[in-house]
Amino acid sequence: MLNYDFKWSILWADPYGGWILEGVVTTVKLGILCCIFSMLIGVVIGTFRITQFKPLRIFAEAYTEFFRDIPLLVQLFFWYFAVPSLLPEEMRIWVYQEIPDFEFWIVVVGLSLYSSSRVAEQIRAGINSISPDQFNAALSTGFSHYQAYRYIIIPLAIRLVIPPLTTEILTIFKNTALAMTVGVLETTFMSQQVEAYTFHGLEATTAACVIYMIITLIVVGAMGWIEKLLAVPGLIVRKGANS
Amino acid sequence: MIEIINVSKWFGQLKVLDNVNETINKGQVVVICGPSGSGKSTLLKSLNGLEPFQEGDIRVDGISLKDPKTNFIKLRQKMGMVFQRFELYPHIKVIENITIAPIKVLNKPKAKADKKAMELLERVGIPEQAEKYPGNLSGGQQQRVAIARALAMEPDIMLFDEPTSALDPEMIKEVLDVMVDLAKSGMTMAVVTHEMGFAKEVADEIIFMDEGRIIERGTDRSFFENPESERAKEFLRKILI
Amino acid sequence: MNFEWQVISNNLFFLMGGLVTTFELALIAIAGGLTLGILVGMGRLSTIKFIYYPATLFVNLMRTQPLILVIFWFYFLMPLILGRPIGGFTSAVIAFTIFEASYFAEIIRAGIQSISKGQIDAAYSTGFTYWQAMRYFIIPQALKNMMPSLITQAVVVFQDTSLAYVIGLREFLRSANVVDAREMRSVELYLFVGLVYFIVCFSMSQVCKKLELKKGNA
Repeated sequence: MLNYDFKWSILWADPYGGWILEGVVTTVKLGILCCIFSMLIGVVIGTFRITQFKPLRIFAEAYTEFFRDIPLLVQLFFWYFAVPSLLPEEMRIWVYQEIPDFEFWIVVVGLSLYSSSRVAEQIRAGINSISPDQFNAALSTGFSHYQAYRYIIIPLAIRLVIPPLTTEILTIFKNTALAMTVGVLETTFMSQQVEAYTFHGLEATTAACVIYMIITLIVVGAMGWIEKLLAVPGLIVRKGANS
Repeated sequence: MIEIINVSKWFGQLKVLDNVNETINKGQVVVICGPSGSGKSTLLKSLNGLEPFQEGDIRVDGISLKDPKTNFIKLRQKMGMVFQRFELYPHIKVIENITIAPIKVLNKPKAKADKKAMELLERVGIPEQAEKYPGNLSGGQQQRVAIARALAMEPDIMLFDEPTSALDPEMIKEVLDVMVDLAKSGMTMAVVTHEMGFAKEVADEIIFMDEGRIIERGTDRSFFENPESERAKEFLRKILI
Repeated sequence: MNFEWQVISNNLFFLMGGLVTTFELALIAIAGGLTLGILVGMGRLSTIKFIYYPATLFVNLMRTQPLILVIFWFYFLMPLILGRPIGGFTSAVIAFTIFEASYFAEIIRAGIQSISKGQIDAAYSTGFTYWQAMRYFIIPQALKNMMPSLITQAVVVFQDTSLAYVIGLREFLRSANVVDAREMRSVELYLFVGLVYFIVCFSMSQVCKKLELKKGNA
């Protein structure tokens, strides 16, 4: 059966341990950048989706549908392979030669846009779960539209949206693994690099699995702490949709 | 006082308010009843501008809602509203629910607002709940807080949209008691409700609506004992068992 | 910037071959994942600790992992267990089935929980055993209730098959990539791939929406 010579020591041997560590740093950098950008863009698109202004709403709906119905890997390939050839000659040369880590940044673009559509969807769902009479109640006490949003709707929406966003942050970190296909030296890439040099694929891949587990635990812990800060006794938070 | 003049409203093709005419004088308590879908809530929400309407006019103390210069914010400060599902703000405490509008809209200093809020909580019978969050209160308690919240802006008119419909039976009385007390103190009130006991006790006029129209008007005695229209008779038969 | 769309028509047969592989992989993964998912979902509701803990551990473990890594993991593991080399397609099928089962399991679990206790009591009171009640009443109803979520997850599986790229499987994306390496026409090729995926996934999501509307009116 398992006719295999396990050699776990390669994981911390020089240089393989160093590679894996480098990979983890890249994964974390990629994850954090994509979280930030996708949240910023996602909030904008999310508000477009619930606005009364029809053209913006339709744009946002198309945006969400577009990013949702094409696999992330296909999108990344498009950004990495196809987009540069769409650029005029001089820009293309500049992109390939002048930008260090072009593949890293193009994944940031691709993954952020993809994730922003999911964030927008969760924000829309969160805001829609607030009953319209909440808004009416605020208006009926003399609040202006702006005040109603600022003091009632938005603080409430933030609390409703945090739990699904936790799941989304995790998803973003897991999706960073796809960057390996375009040569970004993150955790998964490095684990396969170690495999290529040592032929101990099982150990290397298991190490990567453990690393993602740890990342997950840290993110879940951090978000749980934030949820506790914002928690309101008795507030029934809508259960997040299955991701 | 409120004048409703020939008001009609459509939702697309559906006419939800059909040539409604009514006057509510200062200090009067008007009860609006009727089957669901008759337009009662829509009519109530048009009074403070939450629901726009296409035809006709509504004048509140002389101010026309159709006048483009009308300041709805100032108007709504004079009209308090209580909703079927209470609609307390779940993320802030009970006392903050009551003080937030006076502080942000009327620029009342916090100390004064808090003092007034505690007085109102006393008046509705639950001063001990001040520091709790709405989610920890029963339905009846939440609705009483909602009434206190509306009263905090010192309105001239109070609008009630089926205030007891979402309550468990044993909690209806505590809310109605507050409303009766309010009526007896001279507040002008428009109340959409099925609670006929309340109507009998304090209503100056009862309006029966169906399909967007006012079918019948009466004082409590004339309406309950001698309804004129078939629809009203049918409706009373169904709810008064 | 001139487009040469004939790169698609010239290589259509090859690309369609990849698409067929994608569909094959997706269908097997969905069938297998759903079956295993039903078992794991039921296990998550079990009162027997011996079943509940492994099921819960499995689901929670899978949710921490990127699918791409799980694919690699099974790619290395399967030959060791079986003692002989294994094809890319087979190891992909195994990886997908096991991975997606954890997501199907959660949907099924929610579906079973949404069935009122009254139903279960009714089944028992007419003399059915646990397994019979599950098989004839609970599971079919849960599946029906959860159909929109199940379809959504099936669409996810369909998209996830593109990840089999990393073990060299000749599915749709990899086929386009191969043609691109030869013809250097990335824009046309990846637009085409995106378009095909979009058409399939968008249609399925529309089906989902119709189902949700019907459910709402039922």
